Amino acid sequence: MRHVNKTIAGLAVLSLVLAACGDDDDDDAATTATTEAPATEAPGTTAAAATTAAPATEAPETVPAEVTEAPGTTAAGGGGDLDALYQACLDNGAQVNLIALPDEWANYKGILESFREKYPGVENPVQNPNASSQEELDAIVNLSGQPDMPDAIDVSPAKAQEAIAQGFFEPYVTSVDAEIPDNLKDPDGHWVAAYYGIIAIGTNTTIVPNAPQTFADLRKPEYEGVVALNGDPRTSGSAFAGVMAASIANGGSPDDIMPGIEFFAELKEIGNLIPTSVDQATVISGETPIAIDWSYNWPGLRGQIEDAGYTVEIHFPSDGVYGGYYSQGVVADSPHPDCAKLWIEHIVSNEGALGYLEGGAMPARFAALEEAGAIDEASLAELPPADLLSQVSFLTDEQVAAATAVLEENWGPMVADA
Amino acid sequence: MSQVGRHRFARLGPNLVLIGAAIFFIAPILSTARQALQKVPMPLFTWGTLFDKWSLAGLTAVFDEDLFWPALWLTLKLAIATVLITLTLLVPTALYVHLRLPRARPLVEFLTVLPYVVPPIALAAGVAAFYRANARWLFSSQWALVPFYVIMALPFTYRSIDAGLNAIDVRTLVDASRNLGAGWLTTLRRVLLPNLASSILSASFLTTTVVLGEFTIAVTLNKQTFPVFSFQYFGRNPQGGIALALLTLLGTTALLAVLSLLTRTKAQRAARQKIRMAAAPLPIP
Amino acid sequence: MTVTDIATTIDGDRAASAVPVARRPALRPWAGLLPFGAFLFLFLLLPTYGIVEKAFTGDGSPETFFQTFQDERKAFVGSVKVSLVTAALGVVFGTAIAYAAATATRPRWLRSVVSAFSGVAANMGGVVLAFLFFTLLGRQGLGTKIVREGLGYDLYKTDWFDITSFWGWVTVYMYFQIPLMVLITLPAVDGLRPAWREASANLGGTTWTYWRRVGLPVLAPSMLGGFLLMFANAFSAYATVYALNNQANVVPVKISFGLSGDVGVRSSTPYALATWMIIVIALAMGGYLLLRKRAERWHAS
Repeated sequence: MRHVNKTIAGLAVLSLVLAACGDDDDDDAATTATTEAPATEAPGTTAAAATTAAPATEAPETVPAEVTEAPGTTAAGGGGDLDALYQACLDNGAQVNLIALPDEWANYKGILESFREKYPGVENPVQNPNASSQEELDAIVNLSGQPDMPDAIDVSPAKAQEAIAQGFFEPYVTSVDAEIPDNLKDPDGHWVAAYYGIIAIGTNTTIVPNAPQTFADLRKPEYEGVVALNGDPRTSGSAFAGVMAASIANGGSPDDIMPGIEFFAELKEIGNLIPTSVDQATVISGETPIAIDWSYNWPGLRGQIEDAGYTVEIHFPSDGVYGGYYSQGVVADSPHPDCAKLWIEHIVSNEGALGYLEGGAMPARFAALEEAGAIDEASLAELPPADLLSQVSFLTDEQVAAATAVLEENWGPMVADA
Repeated sequence: MSQVGRHRFARLGPNLVLIGAAIFFIAPILSTARQALQKVPMPLFTWGTLFDKWSLAGLTAVFDEDLFWPALWLTLKLAIATVLITLTLLVPTALYVHLRLPRARPLVEFLTVLPYVVPPIALAAGVAAFYRANARWLFSSQWALVPFYVIMALPFTYRSIDAGLNAIDVRTLVDASRNLGAGWLTTLRRVLLPNLASSILSASFLTTTVVLGEFTIAVTLNKQTFPVFSFQYFGRNPQGGIALALLTLLGTTALLAVLSLLTRTKAQRAARQKIRMAAAPLPIP
Repeated sequence: MTVTDIATTIDGDRAASAVPVARRPALRPWAGLLPFGAFLFLFLLLPTYGIVEKAFTGDGSPETFFQTFQDERKAFVGSVKVSLVTAALGVVFGTAIAYAAATATRPRWLRSVVSAFSGVAANMGGVVLAFLFFTLLGRQGLGTKIVREGLGYDLYKTDWFDITSFWGWVTVYMYFQIPLMVLITLPAVDGLRPAWREASANLGGTTWTYWRRVGLPVLAPSMLGGFLLMFANAFSAYATVYALNNQANVVPVKISFGLSGDVGVRSSTPYALATWMIIVIALAMGGYLLLRKRAERWHAS
């Protein structure tokens, strides 16, 4: 069968051609990486400009905190430095490698777009949008030294601690640092929490006509087989938050997550809790009609659900208010540090804040924006009510670690395998 | 005379099995296709809305995605490279074992089944753990995935080539060819490969399905292959994503079936002819 | 040249099959396996070593290694359960389908389609497969709806059916287990000569006798081999079961909890679990290969 020989020869030639084409791409990437190594901007200069603005005193526990700050200084300090940073970024490869930013999470799609509009010429590709925080840290290690290494990350507070311990962050103080409350940034400048949200209960009212409004409601028998968390709390940050919120609703506290575990054990026993994860696919197919998830995940989901023909209602449970943030920071030794800093500046800027608002997340600089009159009624549409937001107090790292330990011991026997 | 296959219901059992299998494998595809292509949610889906709002928009939109064509291209390249390396590695090895080292056969078979012992999630973690520390450069090339794909396809591919070698009398063919004055390369090219053609093709098909389905290691090494793209697209656009997955599933099956039909060898046709003859009723004298 | 070639070939034969008479074993022939061995070493054994190393270093040690097994015993039991059940069912259905497809004469394209689909489906899995079954048998599934409205029977009101529970996973796993079995068994069924069927009939045997005395014994090694292969396949399946039930108590899910996630710190535990998993599957594989050898007899002739 001579034609087989020809086929094989043809495939061999084809593969050689392809290998040649493939190698060209790699070579290009490699050369751009080596040429941009020397271009760095000393982070100290930007930090200095920010710290000259006198930091206001503020109550550390509650959010939103009062920030007294003359609006003029920030604008002046930010503007000039940002232009220089933009220029440096353009010289530094004009690209910021991002990771784990799904489109519908706190309206990252809009924020990514507004970044590209504000800084034309700079690309912001997102690799592995559904990566977990641990996978982000893994990517830093696995891809270190390569041109596609992440330049900036967005991780859960627990993983941010680990990142600091491993030296993954390059400390960077933003130009608007003074306007960010203390409990939403790292004291050493490693990370900043550009947004936060609270736990919400979203209901697909086509399938479940009466939407539950509080955690207590979830116990009703009419909700059999429809309540879902966003994953397993032993591994998923949003599920962890869901259990914590349920705990608060049932007499627990940031130091005591047990009531939350007991609550879900009860839900499972009466058959209301289902073990299917809440994600785009299950929500749209209707497998998870009542979903407990971050408030800033809902605006994105709602559009998709309504597109699929369902109606949605979102409620913020008043009995269990739990707020959580994610930490963003510049990655040390990354290929495009200037662009990374530009990105961080963007997410704490007014445009970034408005983007987060649209996604239903509370931006860190909310008070400053409100004072500057940058927020109109329409932008507040997706936000949880202010009285609930004022009850938010974030967990300390020790509390998170303690709660995680309790979960790992008890969630399995009491809920998962029960 | 033979009573086999003569009963009218001799094929009833097997046919029922095939019909049952068809139902089991096709039903989920049908329900998923409905979910993907029709914008009517299940609670509202009744006889009345059976034909409402069907559209291919979700599916056709994927072809406009920036990342679609590069991802598909990358996977095709990887598949071809994997097939070539697999064949280059396995055909000589299998021949060698058959001709020179029959004692090694159990060992080699054990080695080729090893990839099943290390599951993908562990392999990806192990690759990251080991090569990260010792050979970082491996991660940067897009061809880095190829050796791991060769490994993952080993159980299928080695078995296929091995079966092919078993089916032909390798030793006699080789001896005859060498007697007639052919060197090893000529023997390989003009005697062995043509006879092994169907098993080589089968090995290639199976390798391609492995490459098309592998996700874990590609994500670990951050390569934008087609399965990775497909999964991420599914994450942001479930209807379109699932339509794409179905298209991939059905398209690959159709392609492989057509290729396999076209390349059925004479031996296979003869065997089927025998089966047909055994099953056919005798002519009335 | 030709004579010496024949001689070499015969010699090679003799060396391999002769009774060793106080001779040093010939090592040079094994050198031919070097490329293959090196390839395996680099890309399979070294990553495996990477896993094992991480299981025993850092905060890991032989004590924690055994402790991990104790702690996660339930996960291992769960994994073994689902693997055994899906492998057993896979053997039964896979063999039946392979036999039906291999011996079918009409339509002509049947075998090609079956083998092509099997090749593709055996590599399927993960969220897509889970989604496929959600749309059919999930709470909002088309099948569930048809049964509820057509037959008046609500599957989810019963205790025994739930796509997210054990038997649900088993059903979904069948979608890739059966094709795997079919792929393995098709060549084996080809080895069942039609002549044997006729001979059995001529000697007065029924279909049942044929299967009991000829068919099944011939296919048995292949079937058992397929069983063990499917066992390993099901044991290592992760994405599919996680998409169905994110709290599934099976080993791969526990490994992924440790390796990735937002909460908790990564320790040596997931690596220890992965090492245990490799041990369990390696034992199954060992059994598989002993049985594979016996299957050879019937293929070549």
